[in-house]
Amino acid sequence: MTFLSQIIQYVISGITSGGIYAVIGICWSVVFLITQVLNFTTGEFVMLGGMLTWGFHGAGMGLIPASLLAVAATICIAIVMERAAIRPVRYPSEMTYMMLTIALASVIKGGVLLKWGSETRTIDPFFGTNVLHMFGATITPQVICVIAFLVIVTVGLSWFFNYTLFGKALRASAVNNTGAKLVGIDISKFRLFCFGLAGGLGAITGIVTAPITFTGYEIGLLNGLKGLVVAIVGGWSIIGTVIAALVLGLLEGFCAGFISPGLKDVFAFLVMIIFLILSTYRISSVFKEKYHEPE
Amino acid sequence: MNQSRKAYVLISLLALSVGVLPFVIPSPYIIGVMCFIAIYGALALGQAVLMEHAGVFSLAHPSWFGIGAYITGIAAVRGVPHLLAILVAAVFVAILAYIMGAPLLRLRGYYLACATFCLLIIIEIVIGNMTSLTGGHEGLLGISPLAIGSFTFEGDRHFYFFSWGLCIGTFWFLYNLMNSRVGRAMKSFNDSEATSMCMGVNVPNYKLKIFVITAVMASLAGSILCFWLRFIQPSMFGFPLLVELITIIIIGGGKTLIGPLLGSFIVMWMRELIHIYLGRVLPVMTAEIDALFFGIIIVVILIFMPGGLAGWLEQLIFIGRRVRERFAGP
Repeated sequence: MTFLSQIIQYVISGITSGGIYAVIGICWSVVFLITQVLNFTTGEFVMLGGMLTWGFHGAGMGLIPASLLAVAATICIAIVMERAAIRPVRYPSEMTYMMLTIALASVIKGGVLLKWGSETRTIDPFFGTNVLHMFGATITPQVICVIAFLVIVTVGLSWFFNYTLFGKALRASAVNNTGAKLVGIDISKFRLFCFGLAGGLGAITGIVTAPITFTGYEIGLLNGLKGLVVAIVGGWSIIGTVIAALVLGLLEGFCAGFISPGLKDVFAFLVMIIFLILSTYRISSVFKEKYHEPE
Repeated sequence: MNQSRKAYVLISLLALSVGVLPFVIPSPYIIGVMCFIAIYGALALGQAVLMEHAGVFSLAHPSWFGIGAYITGIAAVRGVPHLLAILVAAVFVAILAYIMGAPLLRLRGYYLACATFCLLIIIEIVIGNMTSLTGGHEGLLGISPLAIGSFTFEGDRHFYFFSWGLCIGTFWFLYNLMNSRVGRAMKSFNDSEATSMCMGVNVPNYKLKIFVITAVMASLAGSILCFWLRFIQPSMFGFPLLVELITIIIIGGGKTLIGPLLGSFIVMWMRELIHIYLGRVLPVMTAEIDALFFGIIIVVILIFMPGGLAGWLEQLIFIGRRVRERFAGP
């Protein structure tokens, strides 16, 4: 393998993982902007998507019905979670929400561990295993599937938020919750919708990535956190998140290739900590408003 | 009876009952669980003061515990005198907490929590990957039994007194701290940072101080755990421990200092019950399974009993006083 093909291989794997982080980051920001809840179960939705598909597929269903059922089940779990656990909290504060969602994440994780054990699982690729070659590097159809999914999600959500009445109402309630209530927008329905959307997108991400990276009960934490990293670095906007995610994915790919695969995960979190610390120093007024706001 | 004398009576009662217990009930199993209660209680006290009293929502507390345990363990394996190893760990953790805390505590709310959560994950991964020094994921083995001078700690009873000594010492220290100038300053900036800054409280300085103090306490608790179990693993100081700590604080109630101790007592016994009764039914029994039950408890308590057990008791006492006043008549 030549140096060029090696680099192209790293770029491909970087873009793939970047695409995954981008969708997870969008899941975080959709929930955070409208409900002000930092939803730590986002990563567990990804895990649930993959594991439920594996479970239903193992129970004798076809791959497509199994994945559809898995997505539906994850959406239901997300909505029930919002209704039964997050809304009834009596004194909602940032701290309470955070403890609550961390607790819910550990509940989902423990439940999956109880049901299916701690082995890593995989599901069959959707479009066969024919490998494409490009400059000596190899691309599997599943990678193209991930990238296509990212493009569909980005374009679809941008259209939805900018050109439909429902999406515009969602954006309005993200900008000013009270104002949105005053003009007759039903916030509580939107909260349910946002959690459902995050659950659905997360589950699809889990299903699409399961053939490449394997799935298991413990993948949720790291994947979810990296999604949070890109959402924060991207400034909670869709396009910012996608750019941050692709950059992070590429950096991680090269880091894993040239430095050490074990420290790949450390790298992403280090980026986040450094970014957050730098953002407190007044680089620009935008940052100051966003990250250093008084309570 | 004034406030401080009440507290001294409480502390001495606690110390007395703890001191008498191993002679009344000499079962090594119960003493072992009580050791865990003391260590986790000391850890949760620090976290509760940091979170609920000072308003610094740091999730990296288990990391200080882990780093303290690992440094003590590594030094003990290399043959450093044990008391010195504990001191070195505490000093190192203090310096590290200062270096990390100074820039991190500029953040607030969610962003502080995210950054410290990342720190927690980073430290777990780094400890797991430094195989030559820490033994990697298999854990650190070969820690010699704790010896201070010519006195060797052997058996659970010695560790029982050692760990409860630390726990009650922590409680006493934090009680005095919270009723001092520093504690009042912390309460004020937890309520309103802008106001207390206007009154001349140096908020970042106090935040950093309490961050370093609680980190050192966690490190001391980690040292005791390391010598008691004589085996440590990176997964002992990760996400499951964080969930456990949050459960302890939520159950006990973090607004009071006695709350985390109560919570630690309840959570540790609950963990034992889970292990005894569900261990027969369930296929696997790891910290993640405990976290499943603790997660359910956190959700239920946050919804139905947000003050925790200590808050609930306080409410009960208040209602009792009202009822007595009503019936005593003028």
